[in-house]
Amino acid sequence: MFETGTFIVSIVTFLILFFLIQRFGFKPLAKMLEQRRLHVERQITEAEQNRAEAEKLLAEHRQLLEQSRQEARQLLDAARARADEQSREILAAAQAEAQRLLEEARQLIERERTEALNAALNRVAELSVELTEKLLRSRVSEATHKEMVEEAQKHLGELVC
Amino acid sequence: MPAFPYLFPNSFPINLTTIGMMILTGLIVLVMLRLALRKLDMRSPRGMQNLMEWVVDFATGMARDTMPGEKAVQWVLPLAFTMLIYLFVANWLGLICTIAIHLDKPIPWLGITAERLEAAHGEVSLFDSPTANMSMTLGLAIMVWVISHARGLRHPRQYFRHFISPSPLAIIEEITNPLTHGMRLYGNIFAGEALLGILLGVPLLFGWIPISLPLLLVWLFYSAFVSTIQAYVFSILMCLYIGNKSFDEGHAGH
Repeated sequence: MFETGTFIVSIVTFLILFFLIQRFGFKPLAKMLEQRRLHVERQITEAEQNRAEAEKLLAEHRQLLEQSRQEARQLLDAARARADEQSREILAAAQAEAQRLLEEARQLIERERTEALNAALNRVAELSVELTEKLLRSRVSEATHKEMVEEAQKHLGELVC
Repeated sequence: MPAFPYLFPNSFPINLTTIGMMILTGLIVLVMLRLALRKLDMRSPRGMQNLMEWVVDFATGMARDTMPGEKAVQWVLPLAFTMLIYLFVANWLGLICTIAIHLDKPIPWLGITAERLEAAHGEVSLFDSPTANMSMTLGLAIMVWVISHARGLRHPRQYFRHFISPSPLAIIEEITNPLTHGMRLYGNIFAGEALLGILLGVPLLFGWIPISLPLLLVWLFYSAFVSTIQAYVFSILMCLYIGNKSFDEGHAGH
């Protein structure tokens, strides 16, 4: 009961139906699936790229942070060193100044002491001269007077020198 | 065994029921696909679209299992998808319902002669699985055979060598393969429907108790299972036969 007509017409019918189904049913579906595949692929690629970029950025930031930290430490160290040096300088200067002042004061004192001593000696000398004059005016001859003055001068010289 | 209306019954018999059912099946498939594609969305598929996407995935997996390379898979995918869904619908149509009318008078120009009508007890089938017809399934099988050879001839050297290597006996397969390919589908579907028809024809006990109902249900489930499996088997064998003669990727097949 093989039917030639059915056999041939069914092949033709199926081919026509296949064409219709493929054209209007399968193609849009396959196109959409392909689009989705491409979309997913693109998304994954993008995500990977973003991730790589983020990692790169993170590494960069980390490096920058480390660098700036190091710089800050260097700055701090330098500042500390400079401050140390400055303080040492200031201290040294102050010490020198104090020494100088002390020295000056000592010299001043010395000078004033000498002056005062000299003044006192002069005064004593004057007073002794006056006293001697007063005494001599009343009792001493010209000759004795002279002798005494000489002696006094000699003594004075010893005293002063 | 019901009678069928034929066009040109004497010279070039065309089974009108089978062809009509083929067209109906195609329309159902097309309508289903168009429904699925109505709100085609790449991002959030829903409803029928999911189902159809699953069918495409299934057909792709089937083709990948049997074809030598990705190029051949993409080439055969539309045919595999169409064949799978088309045969599925075709096999199920005869299970969902069969319509037959009872004729008293023969219609000779449609091939419904008196003796045929008598052999069919006056039943003329109008709605049936198209795959329950031997000519139709053999037609599909021969179509697949022609497609596979046409594809094989793209690479003539490998094509002619594959007949004699590894063994010339393989030529026998070129005859048995399309025959079994078509007859397997026809036999399974036809047997399912024939037995369904007989079970439906069992007379009711006391006029109202349907004693054949449990048997009918069991057979209906089994036929549904067989229909689904046969659609898959026919499609995967189609992929296998075409894949065996695809030499695109320098691969002799399986």
